[in-house]
Amino acid sequence: MSSVTAVIPVKDGERYLAELLAALQREGVEEVIVVDSGSTDRSLEIARAAGVEPLEIPAREFGHGRTRNLAAERATGELIWFLTQDATPAVGALAAYRDAFARDQRIGVAYGPHLPRPDTSPMIARELTEFFAGFEGPGGVIAVQGPGDPTFLSNVNACYRRDCWEEVRFRDLPYSEDQAFGRDALSAGWLKAYVPAAAALHAHDYGPLEFMRRYFDEYRGLRVTQGHVERFRPLEVLRWVGSATVADARWMAAQGIGPGERARWTARAAVHHGGRRVFSSLGSRAELLPAPMRRRISLEGRDDGTLSAGDVVLPDAPPQLPPAEHVGPQRQRSDYADFARVLRDGPAALLPPVPGMAGREQLRIAMVVPPWARGSGGHNTLFQLMSRLERRGHVCSVWLADLYGNQGHVWPAVLRGQINEWFAPFDGPAYYGFEHWHGADVVLATGWQTVHPALLLESCRARAYVVNDHESEFFPTSTESRIAEDTYRHGMHCIAASPWLRDVVAESYGASADAFQLGVEHGLYRPLDVPRRRDTVIYYARHSTDRRAVPVGLMALEELHRRRPDTRIVLFGSDEPPETSFPYENLGILTPAQLGTLYNEATVGLCLSLTNFSLMPKEMLACGLPCVELAGVSAESIFGADGPLQLAPLEPVALASAMERLLDDRDEWERRSAQGIDFVASHTWEVATDEVEAGIRHALREREATL
Amino acid sequence: MATSTKAEQQEEIEQLRARVAQLEQELVDQAARTSRIVAESQERMYWLERWHIDLNTVMQKPGAEEFRALVRALRAVARKAVAIRNKLTRRS
Repeated sequence: MSSVTAVIPVKDGERYLAELLAALQREGVEEVIVVDSGSTDRSLEIARAAGVEPLEIPAREFGHGRTRNLAAERATGELIWFLTQDATPAVGALAAYRDAFARDQRIGVAYGPHLPRPDTSPMIARELTEFFAGFEGPGGVIAVQGPGDPTFLSNVNACYRRDCWEEVRFRDLPYSEDQAFGRDALSAGWLKAYVPAAAALHAHDYGPLEFMRRYFDEYRGLRVTQGHVERFRPLEVLRWVGSATVADARWMAAQGIGPGERARWTARAAVHHGGRRVFSSLGSRAELLPAPMRRRISLEGRDDGTLSAGDVVLPDAPPQLPPAEHVGPQRQRSDYADFARVLRDGPAALLPPVPGMAGREQLRIAMVVPPWARGSGGHNTLFQLMSRLERRGHVCSVWLADLYGNQGHVWPAVLRGQINEWFAPFDGPAYYGFEHWHGADVVLATGWQTVHPALLLESCRARAYVVNDHESEFFPTSTESRIAEDTYRHGMHCIAASPWLRDVVAESYGASADAFQLGVEHGLYRPLDVPRRRDTVIYYARHSTDRRAVPVGLMALEELHRRRPDTRIVLFGSDEPPETSFPYENLGILTPAQLGTLYNEATVGLCLSLTNFSLMPKEMLACGLPCVELAGVSAESIFGADGPLQLAPLEPVALASAMERLLDDRDEWERRSAQGIDFVASHTWEVATDEVEAGIRHALREREATL
Repeated sequence: MATSTKAEQQEEIEQLRARVAQLEQELVDQAARTSRIVAESQERMYWLERWHIDLNTVMQKPGAEEFRALVRALRAVARKAVAIRNKLTRRS
């Protein structure tokens, strides 16, 4: 157990000194040093009566920092407990300090709360209580503070590890030597502890005017030690005084103080708070006042400020920080809490595999999806598949993982209604979040936002990941891009929406993967009885989707227009027409049926994707419309290098030439059109569902293989 | 003897596999029934949920029970009136 020396600087401290010395004896302090700087009352006599021989120094030699250093040099304890003459330790305070220092050798200094005495003014009592409550750890336990935490420290009641004091020592300051020590100790790598149980009764209770003078002194000291200049804006001060006074009144009511007493103290509180703001502002600008005025205002009659008129801050004081805006907790959890949980704890354990489960006719399939909107292409793919899996007898359910919490206003029955109204028939239930999660044979994650929630779901036999695109490429380097990359690395079997995408997840991330081909609604997209124009290029110019390379597409159309000014250019896919250097018609966002008509009317389609191949070119081909797409990305994995699609590099002139060839070369157009219809005839959602179902069973087989 | 034991073991394994398959099927059937019940209730709740009406919450509001009692009383009076009218109509 560490030995303790208590140090008490005294000057005319007879009021509480006997009580304080008795409390130290009760707490079991081994050594007490009283430093008296010229008391004229009974302080010396009280100390001696308690068995303590005071160390007497001349009043002019007293300094808050230097005098404490002097006493500490004489102390023999491993811990040095500084108290002021008007602070009385509560029962158990020293034991609490000893306990705190025993926790961590890096704790160099600890401090405890100041409790109001029974006769303390209510506004001071409230301020003390609320001020110190702010330092407590969760549940009122010891809080260890390090770099970046509050530097507050008070020598009214603070205990120092001798090693820390020897390394840091108090600065020779007229005031606030404790605050400076707190900052210096943290800078030197020591930790600081706030110990709620190491309390001391203490309150500076003065008359209204004395309080103001005291604040003048305190803020003068803060300016010297920390460069703090108290802001003074009349309206702001008025508001603050009002709210502080109201808070005092409420606190008094909560303490059971009667109405008469409360009214009297409320008036006093208004004066107190107003005077505080005025005199603290004056104190932090004391160097602007004439010396005699400084001396008169100062409660201690001091005019030995280290600042002279014109000085701003001491050279070693750090720049003052702007007033901090207090921001309370605003949300219950972080958007990426599931991601962090998977990183920390790993995925939830899967249920043990059952022999034969991969071949069972009926499976319980839970599809976890991100939020959707009407017309969402990726969701259309997912729900077309889900609808058909359900028709094949599987027990299907849809679970919305709402990463950013934007869809909470859409209740589950409405989610289910939207699936049926906007995408595909679905008889199963839809759920918002996972509150009612009840397990499944296979959980299907379907987007980067859904993978980590899916990994945390329990009571599953297997997990698989329907990968619609290489989504990490959707984002610039960011949290989202990194989380999206992470989704491929958790051993989930991937069912990718093209052979190209399958190879990406397998080769870049080492995932096991199958591929499926996007299906076409041949009822909607087929040759119709619509006159085919010979001068029309249509372009899917969805400029809000970066991966659509719209700037390049528009440059290609600009080049085409330069070569063939009579070509009719039609843009669709966005309600906001882009600004271009050529004239065009804009159709905005179309329904699937309208798209079918457009594809039957146009001569050439242009649709670019910088990542995975999308469904749109297939739908164009199904309508007999030759289409130009980007070469060297993903299209070759489906159509080959010289299949029904006309491929061109990401280069405006080359894209314009590809479109021009289809406009000019009638034979080429006919060949591509017929080839396209023929090629996509076999690309149905039924086939796609076959492939996805095979992928699901593959994931289950992988689990069975662990038996 | 050894052959017999092996055959018995094999038979027991087959029986256990069949039992697991049966239990698995029961689980699927139960899940299908539960899903159907939830989906049907979602079908019925569509407009209430679309308008964000939770009837349990509504009925916990002050005056809700009194309002319901008033409606029941009015309905009882209306039924009585209809019954009397029918009675009178039949007599005439």
